[in-house]
Amino acid sequence: MEKSKKFKKDGKRRKEEATVISHFNEETATEKESESLVPGAALKNAEKNDENINEDEYGAKDYRSQMELKLDHNNRPLWIAPNGHIFLESFSPVYKHAHDFLIAISEPVCRPEHIHEYKLTAYSLYAAVSVGLQTHDIIEYLKRLSKTSIPPGIDEFIRLCTLSYGKVKLVLKQNRYFIESPFPEILQKLLKDPVIKECRLKHVDITEDISSTDINPKKPLIKPSSSDDKEASVFIPDDIANYVDKIDNDEEDEINLNTVSFEVNQEHIEIIQKRCIEIEHPLLAEYDFRNDSHNPDINIDLKPAAVLRPYQEKSLRKMFGNGRARSGVIVLPCGAGKSLVGVTACCTVRKRALVLCNSGVSVEQWKQQFKMWSTADDSMICRFTSDAKDKPMGCGILVTTYSMITHTQKRSWEAEQTMKWLQEQEWGIMVLDEVHTIPAKMFRRVLTIVQSHCKLGLTATLLREDDKIADLNFLIGPKLYEANWLELQKRGFIARVQCAEVWCPMSPEFYREYLTAKQSKKMLLFVMNPSKFRSTQFLIKYHEKRGDKTIVFSDNVFALKHYAIKMNKPFIYGPTSQNERIQILQNFKFNTKVNTIFVSKVADTSFDLPEANVLIQISSHGGSRRQEAQRLGRILRAKKGALAEQYNAFFYTLVSQDTMEMSYSRKRQRFLVNQGYSYKVITHLSGMETDKELFYTSREEQGQLLQQVLMATDMDCEEERVPGELGGNQKPFSKRTGILSSMSGADDGVYMENKRKANNNVHPLFKKFRG
Amino acid sequence: MTSKSGSILLMKPSNIDCKDLQSYLKTRPPELLEKIYHYPTICLAVYRELPEISRQFVIRILFVEQPVPQAVVASWGSQIFAKEQAIATSCLTELNVWRVAAIPGGLPAWELSSTFSKNLKIALLGGGRPWSMSTFMDGPKPKEVSFLDTYAMSRWRCVLHYMVGAGSNSKIRENEGISPDAVRILLHANLMRRDERDGTPSITRQGFQFLLLNSQAQVWHFMLQYLDTCEERGLNLPECLSMLFQLSFSTLGKDYSSEGMSSGMLTFLQHLREFGLVYQRKRKEGRFYPTRLSLNITNKNAIVPSVGNDDDKVEENGYIVVETNFRVYAYTDSNLQVALLGLFTELLYRFPNLIVGVLTRDSVRQALKGGITAEQIVSYLQQYAHPNMINTESAVKTRSSLPPTVVDQIKLWENERNRFVYTEGVVYNQFLSQADFITLRDYALSINVLVWQSERNRTMVVTKNGHDDVKKFWKRYSKNGG
Repeated sequence: MEKSKKFKKDGKRRKEEATVISHFNEETATEKESESLVPGAALKNAEKNDENINEDEYGAKDYRSQMELKLDHNNRPLWIAPNGHIFLESFSPVYKHAHDFLIAISEPVCRPEHIHEYKLTAYSLYAAVSVGLQTHDIIEYLKRLSKTSIPPGIDEFIRLCTLSYGKVKLVLKQNRYFIESPFPEILQKLLKDPVIKECRLKHVDITEDISSTDINPKKPLIKPSSSDDKEASVFIPDDIANYVDKIDNDEEDEINLNTVSFEVNQEHIEIIQKRCIEIEHPLLAEYDFRNDSHNPDINIDLKPAAVLRPYQEKSLRKMFGNGRARSGVIVLPCGAGKSLVGVTACCTVRKRALVLCNSGVSVEQWKQQFKMWSTADDSMICRFTSDAKDKPMGCGILVTTYSMITHTQKRSWEAEQTMKWLQEQEWGIMVLDEVHTIPAKMFRRVLTIVQSHCKLGLTATLLREDDKIADLNFLIGPKLYEANWLELQKRGFIARVQCAEVWCPMSPEFYREYLTAKQSKKMLLFVMNPSKFRSTQFLIKYHEKRGDKTIVFSDNVFALKHYAIKMNKPFIYGPTSQNERIQILQNFKFNTKVNTIFVSKVADTSFDLPEANVLIQISSHGGSRRQEAQRLGRILRAKKGALAEQYNAFFYTLVSQDTMEMSYSRKRQRFLVNQGYSYKVITHLSGMETDKELFYTSREEQGQLLQQVLMATDMDCEEERVPGELGGNQKPFSKRTGILSSMSGADDGVYMENKRKANNNVHPLFKKFRG
Repeated sequence: MTSKSGSILLMKPSNIDCKDLQSYLKTRPPELLEKIYHYPTICLAVYRELPEISRQFVIRILFVEQPVPQAVVASWGSQIFAKEQAIATSCLTELNVWRVAAIPGGLPAWELSSTFSKNLKIALLGGGRPWSMSTFMDGPKPKEVSFLDTYAMSRWRCVLHYMVGAGSNSKIRENEGISPDAVRILLHANLMRRDERDGTPSITRQGFQFLLLNSQAQVWHFMLQYLDTCEERGLNLPECLSMLFQLSFSTLGKDYSSEGMSSGMLTFLQHLREFGLVYQRKRKEGRFYPTRLSLNITNKNAIVPSVGNDDDKVEENGYIVVETNFRVYAYTDSNLQVALLGLFTELLYRFPNLIVGVLTRDSVRQALKGGITAEQIVSYLQQYAHPNMINTESAVKTRSSLPPTVVDQIKLWENERNRFVYTEGVVYNQFLSQADFITLRDYALSINVLVWQSERNRTMVVTKNGHDDVKKFWKRYSKNGG
């Protein structure tokens, strides 16, 4: 009792610190203002629909009275629960059809081998209509795919969420803004609204209220792969098969529809967007880049050698489906070729492109990618970081970091000039790498600074511990595509990883200290657990013998240094200079003698290390599912010459038994487990006892180690506050690492609660319009 | 100073002992065997269940009216298979089918039990009193096989459902109650146990194992338990056995007459009716139909041709999908299956033909606390794994249809509960002086029998084996020292 109280207080204090440090939580105040700006439908949550359904005697929600089983249920692949959860059989003959459809209309919850779970949400349905699906089609197709009749609540939910969404588009073409819709009655409604009426751009000679245009169908930019296999239709009930074709065609037919539009005043765009949300017709932004003659084309193309994989193609088709560019987020696992998608998108739009990523190293890597896949050369690509400032004038592609853009303190003259130029430009496309890492606040800042017609977010894990990810959905655009990890793995596009959790028993001495130590010390104790050290050493040795390349991750810098120095391996952490980093990475890549490197969390994202195939994690950021996924991503790149059937990469997490680490580890794994990964628990590494070369085998040595750990002052913990990202002089988001204790993740809970409260009255939707 | 000896009762997990006919009979006393060999049906059943070589032996000497020298019997087979022969020989001996006899000249010989040989001849060749059940006189009235199957399974499920459901809910659905007699058998068989507080029966570890068996084996095990108690009911064991075997040799769908049965046998018939082994429209009707459950009853490995309708078929074939994320999906609408799963999974949603659940630490621990072992959970999931689980590549590789992580985790959850290591020991405490304590402790330490000590409490524990030595030392010490 006493203890938990203290813990809570601790958490609170820590939370406060975290807020100060990371500028993360500042949104609560502003969020309240936007209360009125939420469309009613977006607040809908299907989750509550089943609250009054009785539980049966085993504690399960009994849906049997809600639906009837169809006679031919064997041929249909899915069940829909009244709370919006959908279960899909992956072994069904119509799986492929159903899968594509569900990806479009719902969020995947978990996708292991046999039965996948999806969930209908207001966001996912918004995304569905924005890529051109119609309410009626969604319901009809769901009905046909379902093994049972559809529960009445679901029908209603879909209608509510989709009827008003996605019907009206804001299109920029020939440098004029148009509001466009295939539904004249909705436009009429908008025009009757006094606010919108104001903003309408009146031509001198209006003869017709609404101009009707017939857009010429363009050939699809990304050709659908011809290998769309039509399976033996014997198994597929006719109605499903027919409907699939219809829906597929719908998407492309859309451009043939007669759309009506009116022009609006560019200066009042913000007001219109706000007003449209109020009257529940949120605007979808589209960019008709083909007809944009105002912004000059840049001369880049994909190299012939760049071949898109089917899933990359599919994701881009979603983006450019109707000949225009939609804004949105594409979710692909690390190593599955996100950069190629980004490069292709830029080459398709062929307007000035801005690429934002989150570290100096990845700026370099993006440049490399552009040069590898496209015809762009050095003169066209400009890097804008604290270390490398190329001349921006006349370049077509600018690669920079989020922090460079949002930097608020004084810049050098040179940087100031570049920023000025950057702000003056009208960017054709903005590629946002690793979108999930950036707080929404920062995004809003980026979006107010930089003008761009279309935004493409790229990420591997559309999730955050604080659930702020929903913001991104509407700041950038809906999620356009999300790949299935397991499927990519099966087809050899990403490495087949064996995940393992290695249990390291705490030595009695360490455990005694652990039980009585302060929160911050506890962490150090379980990381420095001698048996963990030995396990690490043992695994490194084992994999070096096999000729593998190993990365060891440690969030705790004290441990990182201690492990690395003791084992005599190179290490990279916050203060390591850019030059040294590159040198170490080069050595790791090419030097056969450097097979193991130690890195801190600076390497979590965007360090592209294609050679690495073993990852050992000795300490981590509390229960962060995202970090886990990101780290796995470091070794996910498909290995050359490896057999797809065999494990060719290894991911070890070392946890000290009976400590907090165990429960963190459970929590961390949830995302990957839901993607179909399975963790093997290793309780005992065979051969470790007999290995005489390992350190800390004797009690004396362990005692000394314990002394060192106990001696470690708060200074050692504070070292964790790695100054800045690369270069060091940039502002604060890198500090989100927070203090040592916040890394323990204990304050995650507090975070979430805070956020939920905010969410109760305010929907994160469309916040960007508050400016 | 006093010393106390304490031993911790370590519960040995006793497993359900599922015997086949042979091992059942082998444990019966010879007199009983002699008695039951008076029934040709039993002789035939025993004969059919013998190992192949044993059957050869029996049939070769069946018509030899005198003992056959053992050497001769041994010479019938090649020496290479001496081991198999030995098994066959001992099997016959244990079943009391033959016994050692001496023939003139002092050679050991085998002699068939006269009762056995006489009645086996009747079974094989006819003659004597008719031993199969009498058919009905006024014209056969056959029943649909599928009807009988459904009936049998629904009755049998009542028993199973009672076992899983009894503890948790008192709501008894129509048709699902079972007679006090059946409850008594379940209790006797240790499949259920009366709760110490309120006396309601609840399922035991063996009970769960029992549920994991296929229905054929379940019925046989259950009947064995029934036979164990049949004497108490005033029933004649050999008679019951013989009746059971008569049923097992009967034809499915055909009707038989209960005319001429003793009152004991009529009671037995009613019991069989309750468990679904026979169908009778009305209690008083003299016409009954054996069901599939009573056919081939002796052979627990007998292949049960699909029991019942389509839904049942799926259930028999496997209907559970276990995912790497600990989700469990079961294609079933049977309350029994759901109840079984509910023993160790947290059930989430129930669709018309699917139940969604998840294996959690809590749900599994709940089952473990109830005495169910991890092994049992795993083997249940394994046994009823959905066909799609069996065909996956990882399943082919690991030869297990379950995701290895899930299996590991369930076992780890079990191990979690067994982290105590028990050492039997003797406590020494209430020393009068610190010096005494230290002397004795150091002695115990020196001969390596000290388990635990606390200087402050002057308490120490030595191993049980070391107790004598320490005691002797203490006596010597206190005599010398005072």
